[in-house]
Amino acid sequence: MRDDPTPESYGTALPQPTQVERVSAALRTGMWLPIGVVVLLFAVFSIAAPSFFSLRNATGVLGQASTLLLACLGSSFVVLMGSIDLSVGAMVLLVGSATVIALNFGDLGVFALAFAILLGTGLGAINGAIFAFGRIPSFVVTLGTLSVFTGAAWQLLEGRALRFDSAVFESLAIAQLIPRVPNIALFAIVGWAIMAWVGAKTRFGRYMYAIGGGEAVARTAGLPVRRYQVYAFALSGAMAGLAGALATARLGAAGPTLGQDLLLNTLAAIVVGGTSLAGGVGGVHRTLVGVLIIALLDNGLNLMGVNQYTQMVIKGAVVVLAVLISQDRGRQMIIK
Amino acid sequence: MQRALKLAVHDICKRYESVNVVESVSIAIEAGQVVGLIGENGAGKSTLLNILTGIVQADSGEMVLDGKAFRPANYAQAASRGVSRVFQEQALIPNLRIYENLLLSHEARFTHFGQIIQRRRMIELAQDIADKAELGIDVRRQTSDYSFSKRQLLEIARACVVPVRILGIAQPVILLDEPTASLDRADEDTFFRLVASMRHEASFVFVSHRLSEVLTISDAIVVMKDGRIVARLEAREANEKQLHGLMVGRERQADYYHESSQAVAGDQFALQARSLSGVGYRDVDIDLHKGEVLGVGGLLDSGKSEMGKGIVGVIPPWSGKVRLRQGDWHNPDMRHSLANGVGYIPAERLAEGIIPDFQMAWNMSLASGDLFSSRLGIWNSRQERDVAERMIVDLNVRGATPSSACSKLSGGNQQKVVLARWLCRSVSILVLDNPTRGVDAGAKEEIYAIIRGLTAKGVSIVLITDELLELIGMSNRIAIMQRGQVTAIVDAPPSAKPSEVEMIRLMLPTGDAIRPASAA
Repeated sequence: MRDDPTPESYGTALPQPTQVERVSAALRTGMWLPIGVVVLLFAVFSIAAPSFFSLRNATGVLGQASTLLLACLGSSFVVLMGSIDLSVGAMVLLVGSATVIALNFGDLGVFALAFAILLGTGLGAINGAIFAFGRIPSFVVTLGTLSVFTGAAWQLLEGRALRFDSAVFESLAIAQLIPRVPNIALFAIVGWAIMAWVGAKTRFGRYMYAIGGGEAVARTAGLPVRRYQVYAFALSGAMAGLAGALATARLGAAGPTLGQDLLLNTLAAIVVGGTSLAGGVGGVHRTLVGVLIIALLDNGLNLMGVNQYTQMVIKGAVVVLAVLISQDRGRQMIIK
Repeated sequence: MQRALKLAVHDICKRYESVNVVESVSIAIEAGQVVGLIGENGAGKSTLLNILTGIVQADSGEMVLDGKAFRPANYAQAASRGVSRVFQEQALIPNLRIYENLLLSHEARFTHFGQIIQRRRMIELAQDIADKAELGIDVRRQTSDYSFSKRQLLEIARACVVPVRILGIAQPVILLDEPTASLDRADEDTFFRLVASMRHEASFVFVSHRLSEVLTISDAIVVMKDGRIVARLEAREANEKQLHGLMVGRERQADYYHESSQAVAGDQFALQARSLSGVGYRDVDIDLHKGEVLGVGGLLDSGKSEMGKGIVGVIPPWSGKVRLRQGDWHNPDMRHSLANGVGYIPAERLAEGIIPDFQMAWNMSLASGDLFSSRLGIWNSRQERDVAERMIVDLNVRGATPSSACSKLSGGNQQKVVLARWLCRSVSILVLDNPTRGVDAGAKEEIYAIIRGLTAKGVSIVLITDELLELIGMSNRIAIMQRGQVTAIVDAPPSAKPSEVEMIRLMLPTGDAIRPASAA
């Protein structure tokens, strides 16, 4: 508190923030920085890699980005409420593998999708229940289930890639209802729109913000905090299940490496998009831009001929940088 | 007796928002003197100690230590100049050995090459300190092996001895904030002997609610009230009754608390609780009548805040039952409370009351997902905004719109938003924990008016408060708690309000703790 010459600051607003504070706050909460990065990446790669700016490449980027976006749709809510789901990639792998096996038992066709979503919801609910009722940090729970789900999936696959034979299922992802746009991209965009609506317009969405913004406040106000924590993880699982099924449909098979890149990429996209790891700030609507950044980065660097290892270095650095810029360091005294 | 001036404080002021917490305080502490500092909750004692130890900085004023300017920017700086403190909360690390805790942050003095610790030297010194202080502990044992009381004593010993023996500071100033509150009887005696034995080599500031102890241990007594020093006395010339009067004795303005509109409570019970026990309170029975304000007062360790959380079920008690409107007895449970018109406002506004980043409307609607969303869970933002606008007008939340962030509002207006959270649903019972803490005078009166308006409509209020005048002025009846139990219930009709002295006497531990031997 500084010396205030007015005898009574009663009823007036608190002192206005300085210019620096305002700029930093705008960077934190504004959507413009990530969008600017998308434009910048677009410009740089268009010049550096001639094949980048082409319809064919655009279709390819869409397909890749769609899996990532689908996988982020639920886990964005988990991050928004201040927790973390490291098992998204593993759930994609396990659900993808189980779906292929189910398809090979009998041609489920479109119903394979429902099977995948149900299975994913169940896996996510397990995460959520252990976290919320076992009082174990979500980081630990999902790190454990990451290993459990991955191991289970490899067991199912017996270490090999499994193909399936179902034209109907395959067309779910790769047919083009709109020319040049694979259906998986439609799923992703429609799913994103629905989830953005859920975040903005439903009780579930509001409670996610409340739990992330102030769990103690939410409890004192009587919110069923634990129940909603389970819901969030279940949603994360459901969307991972959907992503797993559609990714498998798109690739025509489920192999041991399915979903491997999603562990880093989902968190990267959510955080780069502007959802704070501390919770309460951001939302799934922001994640679209984050997914674009990560997908463009992957694709552009590939086309430029940057090798795989360098790409890992760059992507990791981008994530840390994004958190560094976005975090409100004044608030947290202890970081563990 | 003339002694050298050790620490002089001139005209220190500290404001939080528009509340003067410490106002023009000047104190002179002589070398070897024990100064007793007393005052009711919120009188500014803890803030003054925080300023002396660099934990907060004064807005204006000067401090002089040993003739040199003293402006500690943090606790470490204050400690290095010889001003150290024992905190109310324990600052020992339970999984370390006693000697490690005792010499924590001074390990560098016991090392080879700055890193390799000479364990034996540390243990020898620590044991010597413990023995001289008559703690009766083995410093090689784990800290958590000892009782809470022993650990408190250990902490006091650390604050007293480390500056002299380790830092080599002559005549340190040691601030003791309620040191005896959690000590066993035997450890209390050890404590008094420790202070007595150190009188010639240190100065003490001793904060306590136990006036008999303050009288026996201190040379001089300073009384604070509302951030100011209202009296300085020689301890041997003072007595307990006189101190009671000095700590309180303000003019209570009946208008301010709208005492004339104090509702007459109905006969029906709005809420009853039987033998509630939980962390910090036990066997609490409460009867709250319809339209009544039941005040709950007590010292900081009385357990009144914890009891408030227990009654509503925010933190469910270990045992005990409540019943609403003479219905069925049941275990307190937040969901049940919420569904049956019971609301709760916590004391820690920023940690538990509001989400600062949230818009006003979002903070308001937090407890009312059932009202503002459909059965399918779709949120009705328009209705939410309309209700928020109405609440802003009804409660006079200045400078707010439904979409303005609560972090931009003043404390009083933030508190009105928390009130709006419950008023936007039809609550019939409200448990308020220090609803006017950190709120300026004008907004306070408005909150009092809101409370009166509610009781006129038959709403029943449990008002837990640290402010004596508020407790007396607002309540129909007053329950006093001591160490987790309700020890007295006093009627407070507008025509016969109890006095502050009467209240404070009921809150303070009884005066059987006088120990003449320890003062020698």
